[in-house]
Amino acid sequence: MKRNLLLLALIGILLAPMVANNYMIRLATIMMLYCVLALSWNFIGGLTGYPSFATAAFFGLGAYAGAVCQGQGVPMYLAWILGALMAAIFATGLGLAILRLRGHYFAIASLVVADVLREIVNSTTNLTGGGMGFNLPILKLGVDAQAKLFYYLMFVLALLTVATAVLVDRHRLGFGLRCIKQNEDAANMIGVNATIYKTVAFILSAVFVGWAGAFYASWVNYIEPGDVFDVLYSVKPIVMVLLGRAGTISGPIIGAIVFLLMEELVWRNFLTFHAGVLGLIVVALILYLPDGVLALNFRRLVAWRKNG
Amino acid sequence: MTRSSVKKCLGNGMMFLAVFFLVASLSTGQAAERVITIGAPLPLTGPLSPEGQKQAQGYDLWAETANKAGGVKVATEHYKVKIVYNDYQSNTPRAVQLAEKLITEDKVNFTFSPFGSGATKAASGVSEKYGMPTIAATASSEEVYNQGYKYLFGTFTPNPTLTEPLSDIVKEKVPAVKKVAILARNDLFPLAIAQCMDASAKKRGFNVVFFEKYAIGTMDHASALTQIRGAQPEWIFATGYINDLILIRKQMGDLKVSAPVVTMIAGPAYKEFVDAAGPLAENITSASWWHPAVRYKGEDVFGSTENYNKLFREKYGIIPDYAQASASVAGCLFQIAIEKAGTLDRKKVRDTLASMNVMTFWGPVRFGETGQIISLKPPVFQIQKGTQVVIFPPEIAQANLLVGVK
Amino acid sequence: MLYLQILVNGIVLGGLYACIAVGFSLVWGVLNVINILHGTFIVIGSYTAYFAYIKLGIHPLLSIPIAAAILFLLAYAFQSGMINKVVAAPVLTTLTLTFGLDLFVNNLLIVAFKADYRKVILEHPLGVLTLAGITIPEDKLAAMGLALLLTGLLFWVLDASRVGRAIVAVRMDREAAALMGVKVKKIYALTFAIGGVMAGAAGSLISLIYPISPLNSLPFLGKAFVICVLGGLGSVPGAMLGGLTLGVLESFGALAFGPEHAVTLSFITLILFLLFRPTGIMGKRGYE
Repeated sequence: MKRNLLLLALIGILLAPMVANNYMIRLATIMMLYCVLALSWNFIGGLTGYPSFATAAFFGLGAYAGAVCQGQGVPMYLAWILGALMAAIFATGLGLAILRLRGHYFAIASLVVADVLREIVNSTTNLTGGGMGFNLPILKLGVDAQAKLFYYLMFVLALLTVATAVLVDRHRLGFGLRCIKQNEDAANMIGVNATIYKTVAFILSAVFVGWAGAFYASWVNYIEPGDVFDVLYSVKPIVMVLLGRAGTISGPIIGAIVFLLMEELVWRNFLTFHAGVLGLIVVALILYLPDGVLALNFRRLVAWRKNG
Repeated sequence: MTRSSVKKCLGNGMMFLAVFFLVASLSTGQAAERVITIGAPLPLTGPLSPEGQKQAQGYDLWAETANKAGGVKVATEHYKVKIVYNDYQSNTPRAVQLAEKLITEDKVNFTFSPFGSGATKAASGVSEKYGMPTIAATASSEEVYNQGYKYLFGTFTPNPTLTEPLSDIVKEKVPAVKKVAILARNDLFPLAIAQCMDASAKKRGFNVVFFEKYAIGTMDHASALTQIRGAQPEWIFATGYINDLILIRKQMGDLKVSAPVVTMIAGPAYKEFVDAAGPLAENITSASWWHPAVRYKGEDVFGSTENYNKLFREKYGIIPDYAQASASVAGCLFQIAIEKAGTLDRKKVRDTLASMNVMTFWGPVRFGETGQIISLKPPVFQIQKGTQVVIFPPEIAQANLLVGVK
Repeated sequence: MLYLQILVNGIVLGGLYACIAVGFSLVWGVLNVINILHGTFIVIGSYTAYFAYIKLGIHPLLSIPIAAAILFLLAYAFQSGMINKVVAAPVLTTLTLTFGLDLFVNNLLIVAFKADYRKVILEHPLGVLTLAGITIPEDKLAAMGLALLLTGLLFWVLDASRVGRAIVAVRMDREAAALMGVKVKKIYALTFAIGGVMAGAAGSLISLIYPISPLNSLPFLGKAFVICVLGGLGSVPGAMLGGLTLGVLESFGALAFGPEHAVTLSFITLILFLLFRPTGIMGKRGYE
């Protein structure tokens, strides 16, 4: 029964672009992008308990790496992989430097990195266009075909991220990360090499995000430093994961979907004040739903079952 | 969490997605009416809102005037014109998203570009993809038009057409000028025009002793201005948007930075700049793409520059500056093209725009290969005794250049 | 000559920076809460001064108490109403909460006042002081002087008054302070309110010099971060030292690397300090 439900949903996703218009397809592509970001953050934030605000740094880095490569003539798909690689390498270096810090200090260091990268991009005008932005070559494909192409490709990336998340969850890595979250010193004592595990989690939190960034650049054809290094790319995934439930797999996914729906609803109805309403939602979330939507579903489900 | 509940939640989520699509795709389209809709994504709020509001004023005046005169004539029928505004809050990615939404959801007939070279360039990819004729009322940098696009047209002449006459005037009238200092906002248009200035200055043998960029949102220019003061240039050239330039001028006063010639683009054309800077605005030079002092008689719905100024003043109580006039003429150009083509077909209208050669209240309009206008001679002006006076081209010059900015 | 002017620029800026950061530092040190709202509080202070001048003709330097009072009430309300609920929660929770609150309040300001930049343009502008070839605008000098005065006042309050000692006690050891009879929740609210007061006062001073817009809140916050790490958490002298250091650093940084890099330089300094000397220049222990 459950397997059939899953299959139905999968078919729904695959066929959806046939009936939806381009704007809806764009929205759905963003939804899957959000899933990738949320699941990625979950590795370092949800599982390991390190409040990373570096997502924007990885996203922007991947975007520019991919963009510059494409500008130099590298084929699009390869450029994406290079973007992901750059983000991963950067995360390794950054991780080794700042994962020693705890709590607030780690959060701030990771937050500030995006700003520093943004300014570096801003200054290297010859390479990246600086404040003037970077134009990517447009695909020689019709608009509708393009929209569908990016939709399916983003879906593939999302599946890849989910698969990795599932793998980590079942593997010793997932167990180790959870131990670190509970008590890092104790984890070290039982043989979990905290430094290596943390760094791997940090790299995982970067590689798909970098990929998504490069992807985003090709998709929108024009990027600016202020746009791809926006701090909201760090904050939104956190909110999504908290909305769902940190540390799980479906939590970030549900959170991402719900978040996007809210965002779009709010944007259409409260155009002038939508960011404010979003802020209110975040506040309500923290104060009244600290365990996320998933916790709510679970309890309600259990209660329903009990009542027959 | 158990594996089955994970699957269930995953499945729930996906069902969610699927249902969402079905519901969304049931949204209805536009009812058929004799209305031409033109999409206008603008920064109506946010740091660029002053500029966005001006563009809106220009579009509104055109739409109102055209509708009052009976609407736009398409073959044998008359259509009313309606501008569909969307606020992208000075956020460029949003501008791109809205541009696409206007085309795919609101199904507008034509579009105007967002404000400024940066956002125009960003959104132009969308209009090119959809084959949507777009007129940019506020984009001058050549980088915007170098993508090889066929559907983008711009009413501002390229940046060098501003910096070259300026440099000529300074070279001729102020022989004391040897050293030039340039301070540019790190943004598409302000940086591009600063680079053009750099080129124009060097071409004439000036020594560019200082050329730095400041980040968007900078509030304290003390360091840069101190360095400029130390270099003692005879010509200071600052670029940015109106808020930046007001700040720079004030801080120049704070640090007692003065020079024989001070040029700022693009703010001094606006009355707001003169009001905010007060006595500090005296003798500041600038250039823009149009000035209410020009006199043209055009085929557009306004008929002449004087009539345009008159109607604008009646509606808004102030004299128009180049931003509003450019927006109005963008509307006029769509009208002229549609009426000449006799159809709303996008490709035909696009082709008409590309081959157009008309006179308007804005000046002679002819677009070059890249879609940017090539037929105008932009005026250079100076703020003298609190008002902007034109000092170039000689045909419409009202005064001579005054030297010395305290 | 050039260097001297740059130094003076930096010091004058630094005094103002100290006032911006001290409230933030106190809240972080005592409550272990990073108050993202701090930047917006400053902006509210600026708007208060702006409207006080436009509508009532009160000079911004004199409207400091008004701004301070408004922010006191606002901050106290926020703290007792919401932030107290999560004070002992992990970093992520408090950070996200204040971020959400900031988003809400900041956007309220944008809707109410538009994001356009306002400027307090004085009827009788203060002039420019010239000493030995160095120019200092008088409004900046006045702002710096007052900023240092207020910061000094705060230090005196913390040092000499009962309430001040209680705040310091909570900062040092919450449990011990509670055992000593200190009402910790009240102290938290009070400290947060004091943070608001300093922010409001800073905002009033800033309205004299810089343009006012809700969009400036994040840049102010960024500076406060750097100053806190430079100077050490919860320490008033630290905030002063950090502020001055940052001002001078930015000034010379702009000279050496170009004005567009000044902010990046400060952030790189932040990261370096976090990595190698998280307790700041003065070396006082902060929270983890």
